[in-house]
Amino acid sequence: MFANVFTKSLRDRAGAGLIATVSLAALILFSLWSYQDVDISFYYDLPPVVLSLMGIDPETFGVASMAFGAIYDFMGAFIVGGVAISIGAATIAGEEKAGTFGLLLGNPVSRRGALLSKVASLVLIVTVMGVLLWGVAIWSADLLDLDTAGVHLGAISAALTINGLFYGMLGLAIGAWTGRRGVASGISAGLMVLGYLGANLLPLADLESLAQVFPWYYYSSSSPLNNGLNWGDVAVLVGLTVVALVFAWVGIQRRDLRDKGTDKTLIDRLRANPRTQKAIDRIAGSARVSGIAVKTASESQGLLTVTAGIVFYMGVLIPILFNFIPEDFVNIFATFPDALIVMIGGVDMSTPAGFVTGEIFSLTAPIAIIVLLASMGARALAGEEEDHTMGLLMANPVSRSEVVLKKVSAMVGMAFVFCVATALGTWGGVLLGGQDEISVEGIVAISVLLTLFGLVFGGVSLLFSAMTGKRSAATWAATGLALATWVMYTFLTLSESTEWMTQLSPFQWYLGSDPLVNGMDWGGSALLLGLFAVLVIASIPLFKGRDLRG
Amino acid sequence: MTDAAILTEGLTKHYGDVKALVDLDLEVKMGEVFGFLGPNGAGKTTMIRSCLDLIHPTAGKATLVGLDSHADSVQIRRHIGYLPSDLSMYSDLTGRDMITYFANLRGGVDKAYVDELAGRLQADLGKKVGDLSSGNRQKVGLILAFMSKPQLIIMDEPSTGLDPLVQREFQAMMREVAAEGRCVFLSSHTLSEVQRVADRVGIIRTGHLIDVEYVDDLRSKAIRTIELQFDGPVEASVFESIDGVRDVRVASHHATMSFDGMMDSLLRVATEQYTLVDVNTQEADLEEIFLEYYREGATV
Repeated sequence: MFANVFTKSLRDRAGAGLIATVSLAALILFSLWSYQDVDISFYYDLPPVVLSLMGIDPETFGVASMAFGAIYDFMGAFIVGGVAISIGAATIAGEEKAGTFGLLLGNPVSRRGALLSKVASLVLIVTVMGVLLWGVAIWSADLLDLDTAGVHLGAISAALTINGLFYGMLGLAIGAWTGRRGVASGISAGLMVLGYLGANLLPLADLESLAQVFPWYYYSSSSPLNNGLNWGDVAVLVGLTVVALVFAWVGIQRRDLRDKGTDKTLIDRLRANPRTQKAIDRIAGSARVSGIAVKTASESQGLLTVTAGIVFYMGVLIPILFNFIPEDFVNIFATFPDALIVMIGGVDMSTPAGFVTGEIFSLTAPIAIIVLLASMGARALAGEEEDHTMGLLMANPVSRSEVVLKKVSAMVGMAFVFCVATALGTWGGVLLGGQDEISVEGIVAISVLLTLFGLVFGGVSLLFSAMTGKRSAATWAATGLALATWVMYTFLTLSESTEWMTQLSPFQWYLGSDPLVNGMDWGGSALLLGLFAVLVIASIPLFKGRDLRG
Repeated sequence: MTDAAILTEGLTKHYGDVKALVDLDLEVKMGEVFGFLGPNGAGKTTMIRSCLDLIHPTAGKATLVGLDSHADSVQIRRHIGYLPSDLSMYSDLTGRDMITYFANLRGGVDKAYVDELAGRLQADLGKKVGDLSSGNRQKVGLILAFMSKPQLIIMDEPSTGLDPLVQREFQAMMREVAAEGRCVFLSSHTLSEVQRVADRVGIIRTGHLIDVEYVDDLRSKAIRTIELQFDGPVEASVFESIDGVRDVRVASHHATMSFDGMMDSLLRVATEQYTLVDVNTQEADLEEIFLEYYREGATV
């Protein structure tokens, strides 16, 4: 029975791991290729304290170390962690939500037996991902004839795997206790992002001891790529993973299993209370279902709250945090050569505006808005088809074009709210942090450009949603394009032969003009807005010309 | 408004090499309940989805309430109610929210009529539909299909999960629609329901429309089960030679048989040789006829 459940879990979840591994492998190969021509001599002129901070050993440092670091420090770790979380959260809570966990336990298998077989499949998938990535890294370096002396590819692959396993097990444990997939993946992903920020930002403000609270610290701080595995850090991560497993072990046994059904939210409780029923019925009931656009927007309000909340929170925090960075450190940033500034996103981290752009608007905010709007784009059409509600909707006197346009208007509305939250948060942080050199115009410009940038990826997702009726195709298309254009914007700048391609990236149209300093880039905004309009217009005939699914 | 609720001409739908619907010509009239029958995968849902413009036919055309199913699809939807098979709904909305949402999209829905329907079907509209049993969810779906008093109501397997009392009320609702000169198009596997409520039936198999008949005509053709009681033992061979008699079973004074001929000939033979004490005729059941239509390669 153990083998059956294990094999089934493996078959259900291995696809996500495989797709992520292939994407990451492509990213590794692409980054190594684009780093080949880079002149890295400037690194050797940097002060020893900076090299130490960056985990660079001047004896062994080279193109391979730099290229692999660019992948593994952020994107690689997030992709492996994200896949592990999605598997962990789907393992118990996902099955409960789908109503299949009860079916499984209708057979002679205990709850803990089911848990263990699912844990085994999670461990195997994440481990195989790590091993494959290790193989791809060695093969890519060989293919491009890069010197990997002093680069510990085995160590970074092992650290990546263990880090991913911890977050996957965390998702599984929260799912085992709550039976709620969304809660499990949301909390785990939130803790992962928070851990990344804490482990990387707090040391800048001389708060290394506080950074040690975050599990991510034990993945990145010892720089396993350059220094090999730090067994103390490995022990901490493995220990935390075991604690999460024990937590899941206890949780799955104690709890009443949920039936297939919906979560009871605060709104539901207020609607059930006679004193608040009338008012809440109006807000959460009749107003919410007053039309396609409003209903579509209401379906994503949870995601909006989380994504805009993260960016708002960072907007407040980062400008204040800049004041706590030691002056020596700021001065070192100021000595960075142009080539290095290009590599860290083209921002001058020694200035408040550069620091805010680098820490909020270069990666976190784009990821947040892409998650929000690409998810809305995928759900808009393909989600309704996969949930088999599209037939019911289309039995009403609305045309397919009208459905697309109303869903788009919901997306634009949510993007606007995100924009306002971003601008307000950053403005508040700038006021509280006393960063006078950051202007309101700059904040508005970068927030608007960010919103238009997000809408482009929402549009890509919508296009694939309209074309295929498959949510996964829409999500992967938007995610893949975001990754590819991010690589174009960051890595291709480094080589003269590929620099022109940077101009094709929406990241360039959004951030290339340094809008927080220079204000609105009308050319960039026109390109982003135009591309979004083209994507929306192209979606309509694709949706109209196709047999609907479900 | 035209007399034909649904008119299809050469309606064809292929999925690659699979012929889901082949050259389907069908006319469904206003003022009737039309039962659309066929085994799983016969093409019933494909026909409905083609008529609703959810999928595009490979060839042929469909007209609903006098309007072209593709060119006038939005206008058509003002005049129809639809209940899909395997009904899915927005699980985090209550039944009342669902109804409000679609009533807003449709316009002109009478709230009092919604309440009346909810009462007749004993539907709980206060709960989230994701928390309802399949039968209770189906009731919400039925209200959505009926609430705007459309000219044509298309339902795909509508009785799924309904208890017998609600089924009876639902059948009464369908008859009322037909009595008002509107039309119900009902795709169903529940043969007993179709024979009870439909005026006409269409039988589809492997994408081909096999036959369209009035239920009363089918009933007159149906095989009845006859029980004869005599004052002494009887021989089976005496009855087996009569035209229309099948499956004769004899137990001492009793003879039971299936019969689709004239009663006169049966009674004459029975009374010529034996003394007949009692005759019991069971109501004609269409189920066997339907099943015969369903069987691959069968000729009816």
